[in-house]
Amino acid sequence: MSGPTRSGFVPPAERRAERLVLAAFGVTFLSGTALLILYLLGGQTQLEGILLTLCLGGLGVGIVIWAQRLMSAEVKVEARHPIGGDRRRIAELGDVLTEEAGFTRRTLLIRALGGALAGLGAALAIPVFSLGPAPGRALYETSWRPGARLAVAGGQPLRPDDLPIGSLLTVYPEGDDSDPNAATLLIRIEPELLRLEGEAAGAAPDGYVAYSKLCTHAGCPVGLYRAADHRLICPCHQSEFDVLTGATPVSGPAARRLPQLPIRREGDTFVAVGDFPTPVGPSFWNMGGG
Amino acid sequence: MLRRSLRPSPGRGRPPSREERERAAGTADEAPPPTELERLGIWLDRRTGIAGVARTGLRKVFPDHWSFLLGEIALFAFLILVATGTFLTFFYVPSAALVPYEGSYEPLVGHEVSAAFDSVMALSFEVRAGLLMRQIHHWTALVFVGVIVLHLARVFFTGAFRRPRELNWVVGFVLLTLALAEGFTGYSLPDDLLSGTGARIAYSAALSIPFIGPWVASLVFGGEFPTDALISRFFVLHVMLLPGAFFGAIAVHLAFVVFHKHTQYRGGQARETNVVGRSFWPSQVFLSTGLFFLTAAVMALLGGLFQINPVWAYGPFEAAQVSSPAQPDWYVGWLDGALRIFPPFEPTILGVTIPSAFIPGVVLPGILFTIVAVWPFIEARFTRDDREHHLLDRFWEHPGRTATGVTILTIFGILTLAGGNDVIAFYFAAEIEALTNTFRLLTLVVPPLAFAITYRLCRTRRDRADEPDEPFAGRTPGRGGVALRRTAAGGFEDVEP
Amino acid sequence: MALAAGVVLALVAGRVTPASGAEASAAQVTRSEAAALYLQNCASCHGQQGEGVASAAGPPLIGVGAASVDFYLRTGRMPLGAPGQRPQRQDPAFDEAQILGLIDHVVSLGGGGPEIPQVRAGGEVRRGWELYTANCAACHAATGAGNAVGGGNVAYGLSEATDVQIAEAMLIGPGVMPRFALDDPDRDAIIAYVGFLRTAESPGGAPIGGFGPVAEGFVAVFVGLTLLVAVSRFVGRQTHEGEPESALPGEPSP
Repeated sequence: MSGPTRSGFVPPAERRAERLVLAAFGVTFLSGTALLILYLLGGQTQLEGILLTLCLGGLGVGIVIWAQRLMSAEVKVEARHPIGGDRRRIAELGDVLTEEAGFTRRTLLIRALGGALAGLGAALAIPVFSLGPAPGRALYETSWRPGARLAVAGGQPLRPDDLPIGSLLTVYPEGDDSDPNAATLLIRIEPELLRLEGEAAGAAPDGYVAYSKLCTHAGCPVGLYRAADHRLICPCHQSEFDVLTGATPVSGPAARRLPQLPIRREGDTFVAVGDFPTPVGPSFWNMGGG
Repeated sequence: MLRRSLRPSPGRGRPPSREERERAAGTADEAPPPTELERLGIWLDRRTGIAGVARTGLRKVFPDHWSFLLGEIALFAFLILVATGTFLTFFYVPSAALVPYEGSYEPLVGHEVSAAFDSVMALSFEVRAGLLMRQIHHWTALVFVGVIVLHLARVFFTGAFRRPRELNWVVGFVLLTLALAEGFTGYSLPDDLLSGTGARIAYSAALSIPFIGPWVASLVFGGEFPTDALISRFFVLHVMLLPGAFFGAIAVHLAFVVFHKHTQYRGGQARETNVVGRSFWPSQVFLSTGLFFLTAAVMALLGGLFQINPVWAYGPFEAAQVSSPAQPDWYVGWLDGALRIFPPFEPTILGVTIPSAFIPGVVLPGILFTIVAVWPFIEARFTRDDREHHLLDRFWEHPGRTATGVTILTIFGILTLAGGNDVIAFYFAAEIEALTNTFRLLTLVVPPLAFAITYRLCRTRRDRADEPDEPFAGRTPGRGGVALRRTAAGGFEDVEP
Repeated sequence: MALAAGVVLALVAGRVTPASGAEASAAQVTRSEAAALYLQNCASCHGQQGEGVASAAGPPLIGVGAASVDFYLRTGRMPLGAPGQRPQRQDPAFDEAQILGLIDHVVSLGGGGPEIPQVRAGGEVRRGWELYTANCAACHAATGAGNAVGGGNVAYGLSEATDVQIAEAMLIGPGVMPRFALDDPDRDAIIAYVGFLRTAESPGGAPIGGFGPVAEGFVAVFVGLTLLVAVSRFVGRQTHEGEPESALPGEPSP
């Protein structure tokens, strides 16, 4: 397999392989050129992809056939050397490591070094802590304030007729789009179907009830609503919340209700009575800490 | 050996004549003139001293098997990602600043989008071949992780991770984790509605860690989600920090392979003490080069023919909007599946709430990944085997190991499918809740079953070869006892044991 | 001629506006014929006077309006094969004249209800995109491919929905879908955007269902990895694995 002999004879298998390689390289040349022309003419993604595949594939096939059939296929054997374990060298290493370098048996210094490193760690932590603000009150509060009117994003305050029964809209405090986590779902239900308890019942006037839109499982917006069975569904992990009973989780991995925004009617608009009573969004370890 | 015709002639003012050259060579017709390649080698050697290393290196023997090429394909996929990614970096704008979209995709014109999203739209519609490059990049990323897993499975089931290669296994595990992180940060860069939702889930997973969760989440994301910092931080991770780590880890990974020499299957003249195969030059170099182009060809095919991540359809990320179905890229699908099927368990213990996303989102992956990472040491504990191994096992020779591997793959497989439960329900007209319960049952029942069945099958196969009854022990390796040594002249000679 | 007669009749009746793209059959359906159709196909679940039949899970039809009847009949969701089945989009069971007759009949049962909306072409696609993403994408998918919404219910893909049907659906909230009270320009905008989605090309290639990462993952694993394994086997063909062990020089033979 070392090319033509002195008389120019090439065995048929080699000749076949050569022709294959030539054909493959030919494909590469043609498709590469065609690709360039296609590009100059404006390009088209699928054709570009096919031509590029042919170009690269031709080169690959040609080179592989060349290597497999036209190069020496001699199997070689090479010895392995044992990895490590040379006793003499290990002993020498041991000597080097244990040479008294003022390191061992100075426990006080080593302990002090440990303390110093802890201090260094504290110093190096400062750029890390600058990466973000302290969590603070942010997780416990949204931009809803008492008296804020419910409005569609960037729009007018919502009127009751904007919502037929069985409908819902995403609302924010009027004129304040600053807090995306204030996103709230205002849903209208037949008033007699609502089964809220205590204060919550008073916070949902005439069958209009408002819940936080952020899922309490992993924070995705709870964007799906089955009006016929009054279920809000989160598309991320399929948690379902029952609107009639205060958005209690009835299916899927969420374990906490969607916080209910207390609202009241004020003439032709809706107004928040206050912020959400519990943190919106995904649960965290000390939600009572607010 | 330097050919005599090229040795510098001492102290002459003019080049030697043909006659002089022939006299110096000894005979007129000996020693053909050096080839181009030889001349190049000599030129390099006179400037780098590389001849010795090159001679040994180019002669290195590499065992041949198609399954050994999987790691190479992963490497080539990485190179393709770097190449296409570099192109994308020249167009991508890592900024959350709002700009009005003014490109050619009609429905979005005039709408305010982030500069990042705008630049990806421009790449897709305005830059010639931009969409092709974007799609090749994304498809390669999806396939990249798959090839790594195939390679990992090959190494695992053949026992190639045993001494001296345990550390290289750990490096390989690090590479897998880096690939997942690269993929996640990468597909979040277009700032579209789908990937932004995924970023929110990552934030919530960080948030769910008891005690430190709110801090970790705030520091990584730069505040309460959504933040403007997210895009630029993910960009730095995706384009600088993670690739840097990749290059370093790949270098160590390959250095180990060169130093340890590759493992080999039994058969023919293979022994624990040798490597049987073909030499690096020219055979393996050409085969690898060809493999690179073929890998690239497959990626180009996917990138041109199959649409992936149509961000124009999803639209820019807006915090309170969502589209369904909502899944991450497939290689993190198992995490999504775990989050979907884990029951709503959110206890409060001594005033500390354990959020329902914590166990499936943080604890479970932690445990699974740790097992994978330290497996060589776990197995060494069980088998009490710390000999060097260079011959590969057949998978049925180690029933315990094989069964464990199959079990872990089964768990990941079921969880990955569970991640698409709504799409499966839609496609097969099934009910989501029923599917979820089915997946819960499968997760509990199938892995132990898979373990038992695999174990039994392997034991039966192995016992047919009449081996001692030890579940985790393997066959006595090779025929051992014969050592070879290379002579100074480059040949081989026996060494009496 | 027949079409004109049908249109005049419908306008005179004052209850139904012509549905876009209607093909009137030669024969109109008389009132009694429509009533008979109703009794045969609908009364068993919806009651003879449209009062509903609880045991058959059939809701009352009083007050549902022409829009409801038009939507359910034209998309073939009604009549159901058997009580309690889940309504699915399929070919309509009735022809044009019969549908018009049934609409008249149900409306005549009383209660008013929404009329068939008049949809104007040329809605603003950009506004439509905004509204669609805010209100529709969560169930019907950003690509309009549809998705399961739990409880065995499905938000259908929108590729077959006509403009009027989209308007009707938003108006009546069929099945589990909520209602959306939009003014006409907004409604027409959403319809225009859905029309855009329906005819939009996929510049990246095969859209693989428009399902997103799930479908992409399947392609990556079952197409991509399969091709690459095939490539490995092509490149790495030569191997000594499986060969019987042979002796090295100097070794005794096996």
